[in-house]
Amino acid sequence: MKEELDSQLSAMFDDQLPEAECQLLARRLSRDDELKARWRRYAVMGAAVRAERGVRLDTNLAVRVSAALSSEPVISGAAAAEGVTRGKSTFRWWQPIPGGAIAAGVAALSVMWIRGQAPVGGEALVAQSSAPVAVAEQAPTDRAVPESYVVPPTVEGRTTIMPTAELANYVVAHSEFSTPVTRRSLLSALVASESGTPGAANESENANVVEGPSENVDEAK
Amino acid sequence: MSADVSDLSLVRRVQRGDKGAFDALVLKYQHKVVKLVMRYVRNPAEAEDIAQDAFIKAYRALPQFRGDSAFYTWLYRIAINTAKNAVVSRDRSPIDFDLDLQNTDESYEMQGRLKDSETPEALALTEEIRTTVNSAIDALPEDLRTAIVLRELEGLSYEEIADAMACPVGTVRSRIFRAREAIDRRLREVFEGGLGRAEELG
Repeated sequence: MKEELDSQLSAMFDDQLPEAECQLLARRLSRDDELKARWRRYAVMGAAVRAERGVRLDTNLAVRVSAALSSEPVISGAAAAEGVTRGKSTFRWWQPIPGGAIAAGVAALSVMWIRGQAPVGGEALVAQSSAPVAVAEQAPTDRAVPESYVVPPTVEGRTTIMPTAELANYVVAHSEFSTPVTRRSLLSALVASESGTPGAANESENANVVEGPSENVDEAK
Repeated sequence: MSADVSDLSLVRRVQRGDKGAFDALVLKYQHKVVKLVMRYVRNPAEAEDIAQDAFIKAYRALPQFRGDSAFYTWLYRIAINTAKNAVVSRDRSPIDFDLDLQNTDESYEMQGRLKDSETPEALALTEEIRTTVNSAIDALPEDLRTAIVLRELEGLSYEEIADAMACPVGTVRSRIFRAREAIDRRLREVFEGGLGRAEELG
């Protein structure tokens, strides 16, 4: 019986023992000092045969390592499992930051560009003055419709500088990355630039039109 | 039979909180790791210190070890990095290495180890162990001697030894075991009190 055990130990030392037997013997080896001493002498034999230069055969680093690790917490199964999965799915708080920064940058650039393109002449203002009214008239029906974050497409025939609806959608979709005040001012600016009427009255009407979805975003949160 | 299965069995036990299994891994690989580190430092005592650090780092990193590579490959990588870092830090502050130890007890202990490693007694002990093992091998019957030498010196697997010796793998396993038993008996006869520092654990 003992000879069989020692024979298994010898085979295990050479990585030549079947896995099932290895698992059983590993358990015993970790607890049995006599087996461990034999295991160590097997290692000494190998080192002696190989005549490893500069290596002391009476070395027993296991004692030193064990002493150094005595104050270390024992590795728990949970910690090991955590370690194996670490790097795959662990949430890191800084991960959303680049996305938010990009979204904010794009939104700011869009607003600046729109403002730069906005007409300043009096004729242009007069020619486009009917558009906000149409939008304002649609507002109540829009609110009756089931809540949606999508801004209705622009009225046909209107002179559009760029697809403002898409920009507004973008801002609303990324509203989680901006404060309510910033969001409101951005949307107001977008609508104002689309209508081309910087008048105070129209601005407030337009703001009402687009505030609905943005408030819904807050509620959804 | 896949290689590294025995190491993996021990690794899994360590990962489940069995520190004793890590002792077995240290005992198995300590000489090889020290030999590896000796490529970077010449002082055997310093090599042992670095090897010890490498084992400690390996223990701490074991939760992340998934078994994608062989344990010894992973361990050797840690040892090489530890040795390289030790050499770099020693070259940056050669004076600090000897004198700038905050803990005086640690300082004396290290000095003691440095001296101990260079004593003729320490060298003689290693030489005596080596001589005992080699003389025991010389005294073995031919088939046992061939089997153990092919395994330990040439690093052949049991299958390769079986091919070389034209015998079944089971016979190879038995021959290697019997050879080890004979050498072990001789070692225990010569070193009744244990192999120097060795018998404190394992």
